[in-house]
Amino acid sequence: MQTPDVNWLAIAPDLALALAAAIILLVEVQWKPRARILGLIAAGSLVVASGLAVVQWLAAADAVAAGNVSVLSAFSGMVLMDGYAIFGRFALLVVTAMGIASGWQFFSDLGRRCAEGLALVLLATTGFSIMVSSNNLIMLFLGLEVGSIALYVLAGLTREDKKADEAAIKYFLMGSFASAIFVYGVALIYAGTRQLTILGIGDFLGSFIVGSPGVILIGIGLVIVGLGFKVSAAPFHTWAPDVYQGAPAGIVGYLAGVAKIAGFAAMARILLTAVDDFDWSFLPVISGIAVVSMLLGSVMALVQSDVRRMLAYSGVAHAGFILTGIAGSSSDGILFYLAVYAVQLVGAFAVVAAVSGPSGSSSDIGLYRGLSRRSPVLAGSLTVLLLGMAGLPLTSGFVAKFGVFSDAWFNGHEWLVVVAVLASVIAFAFYLRIVVIMYMEDDDAAPIAVPGLVRWVLGIAVLATLIWGILPGSLLNIVADALPL
Amino acid sequence: MLTALILAPAVAAIVVALIPSRRAELHLPLGIALSMVPLGLAGYLFWIFEPMPGYQHATDAVWYEPWGIGWTLGVDGISLPMVVLTALLVPIALGASTSISKRIKEFVVFILLLEAGMIGAFLALDMFLFFVFFEAILIPMYFIIGIWGGERRIYASIKFFIYTALGSALMLAAIIGLAFNYSSQFGVTSFALADLMQVTLDQGTERWFFAAFALAFAIKVPLFPLHTWLPDAHVEAPTAGSVLLAAVLLKLGTYGLLRFNLALFPEASVDAVPIMGTIAVIGIIYGAVVAIVQPDLKKLVAYSSVSHLGFIVLGTFALTSGGLQGAVIQNFNHGVTTGALFLLVGMLYDRRHTKAIADFGGLQKVMPVFAGFFLFMTFASIGLPGLNGFVGEFLILIGSYATVPVLAIIASFGVVLAAIYLLWAYERVFTGEPDKEENKVLVDLSPREIGLLTPLAILVLVVGLYPAVLLDKIGPSTEAVLDHIESSTDFEVPYPGRLDDVFTAGGDS
Repeated sequence: MQTPDVNWLAIAPDLALALAAAIILLVEVQWKPRARILGLIAAGSLVVASGLAVVQWLAAADAVAAGNVSVLSAFSGMVLMDGYAIFGRFALLVVTAMGIASGWQFFSDLGRRCAEGLALVLLATTGFSIMVSSNNLIMLFLGLEVGSIALYVLAGLTREDKKADEAAIKYFLMGSFASAIFVYGVALIYAGTRQLTILGIGDFLGSFIVGSPGVILIGIGLVIVGLGFKVSAAPFHTWAPDVYQGAPAGIVGYLAGVAKIAGFAAMARILLTAVDDFDWSFLPVISGIAVVSMLLGSVMALVQSDVRRMLAYSGVAHAGFILTGIAGSSSDGILFYLAVYAVQLVGAFAVVAAVSGPSGSSSDIGLYRGLSRRSPVLAGSLTVLLLGMAGLPLTSGFVAKFGVFSDAWFNGHEWLVVVAVLASVIAFAFYLRIVVIMYMEDDDAAPIAVPGLVRWVLGIAVLATLIWGILPGSLLNIVADALPL
Repeated sequence: MLTALILAPAVAAIVVALIPSRRAELHLPLGIALSMVPLGLAGYLFWIFEPMPGYQHATDAVWYEPWGIGWTLGVDGISLPMVVLTALLVPIALGASTSISKRIKEFVVFILLLEAGMIGAFLALDMFLFFVFFEAILIPMYFIIGIWGGERRIYASIKFFIYTALGSALMLAAIIGLAFNYSSQFGVTSFALADLMQVTLDQGTERWFFAAFALAFAIKVPLFPLHTWLPDAHVEAPTAGSVLLAAVLLKLGTYGLLRFNLALFPEASVDAVPIMGTIAVIGIIYGAVVAIVQPDLKKLVAYSSVSHLGFIVLGTFALTSGGLQGAVIQNFNHGVTTGALFLLVGMLYDRRHTKAIADFGGLQKVMPVFAGFFLFMTFASIGLPGLNGFVGEFLILIGSYATVPVLAIIASFGVVLAAIYLLWAYERVFTGEPDKEENKVLVDLSPREIGLLTPLAILVLVVGLYPAVLLDKIGPSTEAVLDHIESSTDFEVPYPGRLDDVFTAGGDS
């Protein structure tokens, strides 16, 4: 019997997070400490995990430089430690840290349930981190489920709030349905190729002519549908507005950000590495989903009167833009887009949570009237972040869009790009609507106090948006090295 | 040098932003003082600019190498007048903004950011960089209209933003497409204008790209029938916003057509001469006719812009020396005269809080200095010989007669119509006896206001009497544009459309 090649480094960051989740739960049972202690444990684990991710990055760079890429595959090819996985993991860790910091008010208000909340966040990140780094489709599914189930519970963590319950149930039902579809697709791909690893499927399809590809094609289709649910691409987006609106404000940004990063990173890896020889079959589907997502997301966002629902529909539109990158087979463009968008999303939801207040669940657009006077910090940050999402030049959002659009054009999808730029213009309208209300209408409601941690999160999100917009090379050079194996 | 010209206003904006809001009395004077820096730099640039073809003071720094984008700047005779105009008008526009009471700090910051963006757009020689500036300008202008504008400011600001963004979105797609063609023909990716000019496109693609660029610029100009955002934006914008919008922002459209459409798509440009010329002439006549019936003074000036900018587009697509030189110099002239007219209307509005022509009458008696300036600028705008407007429109009409004689003849009626709408408006506002009580107590211009208008009036006279001060610097660059078109297409400028033709003809006789 062969013992698997154990490479602890490949999963070390994930282990650190899972361990911290366990420690938080045990400490809570034993000592019932103040929320602050638990938060510090979570923060510490994120720092350790990020440090380990940096170590991974350096090790991977050495291995690639030495031409010894086989060490990047660990546990009999179950997980990969390639730049793509490490970058995705790092992005997840950053979003997690920002998510906990911006939602700290929410976590500390949970009282004794604070430990559960923090542990679930760490477990969700662990799951998604495994998802972006797994090479085996079953492993990928496990990561997806660990992450998703933790998110379902997080969405309903405030049991007293009926809206949150509704959101959690809806998210759970839709999400598990999507997972089932995904795993069925995996099964069909296995049936067609006798392979479960992404690299193995890629080799198989690259070296053999498949006599009857029907099973594989259906499998690919189901995988796209399943992951399409997770990233809220139209027409599989229907859960998103309700969940974004109903889930506790403090964690929506985190929830949306990590699901998008993990879902798209996995989708891009499967489509562009495993089944790329079948791109003739799925590219039209991806383009179609992209067009529907961009147009439907933008148009529906126009008519929302609730900022969270608007951000949900704008997320659908962003899913479409990112799918444009898949059509352009631009794995680095997608990573860049995901990183900048997730950071903007967490920042924007930090503002939403602050405006709604610790107890308030409403995020009606009217609450933002005259925000520029009531809290210049919140209004200014949200403006920069929204302009970033809109993709105005000098923000990272523009660079991200430019990257995926130009790759799509270079890959022969001119019309997709034309639709995409037009959808971006529609998107300007609804982002500007919020800016208008914040700056151009006056209201004498009370000023809003901004907690220190939220200030930090906003500062980082705004700086990242501007710096990566003005000097994109600082991040583009990194994603250019973060290629999948 | 050019980098400093772009960064100076941006740094000034940051400095003003750092002054605490409670020292509200400092922001405007500081903003004006700091905007003298780019003005000084632009003046120096004008002084040392050599009248020869090609770009001067070029800067080329890599921005992100794999994408082939760079911080590529350069100035030539086409962009030089616009840079000077921008740098000159910003302090004047700020000086005219003393009536703004709310959020003066943000106002000054946005105006300075706008200046940085506008100068950047005129100097950029990398399509990516140009697009960044072109689009980034929308943000400060959007806030300027939306926060400090009139009653329907929100509607106007969003309409302005969406219209212009729509045009530039398709231009972005075309820019990506151009870069794609370049990289497939030359093996490297580049967005530099000089590189993209070497791309060979098949006819269909070139026409599509031309159309995408032309649409973006036509909305900006604006050409009929894409002009509907302009009156709204102008009427609602505060005075400083109107001045910069009319004098500089619209010129990005005419500048873009001349700089990018002609250079990147020479074949399609030649084919488009009848179409663009016709649209331009429709704009000239339409704008003038609509201006005649406007009851609102600001709207009248706004529609007169539609008409005047039609001349510039006509001159551009005349593809003759006269037409191009006229277009460039008229870009400058229109900025001076229309900027001054908007200033004057703004000064009147500050006093009377109305812009309706019917509310006035007989102002000549109560505000003689004001009336004098207004009449002077009106004459300049009509194109009275000896004033600047005459030089530009005369060159454009002469130049376009060589290529599109019928259109030139029709366009010349625009000059007549301009005399009608401007003088008739003058008559209704200024002549006769002041019959309304409110009008009898109006105060004449203050020294500050005279100080704002005088530099513009001097420019009107200088360019009108001695246009060579600008034309000498413009000429070599516009000749280079024609050389490029003649060398890359079968098109030949019809006799006597080139400068050489004129000089030879003079020598023979």
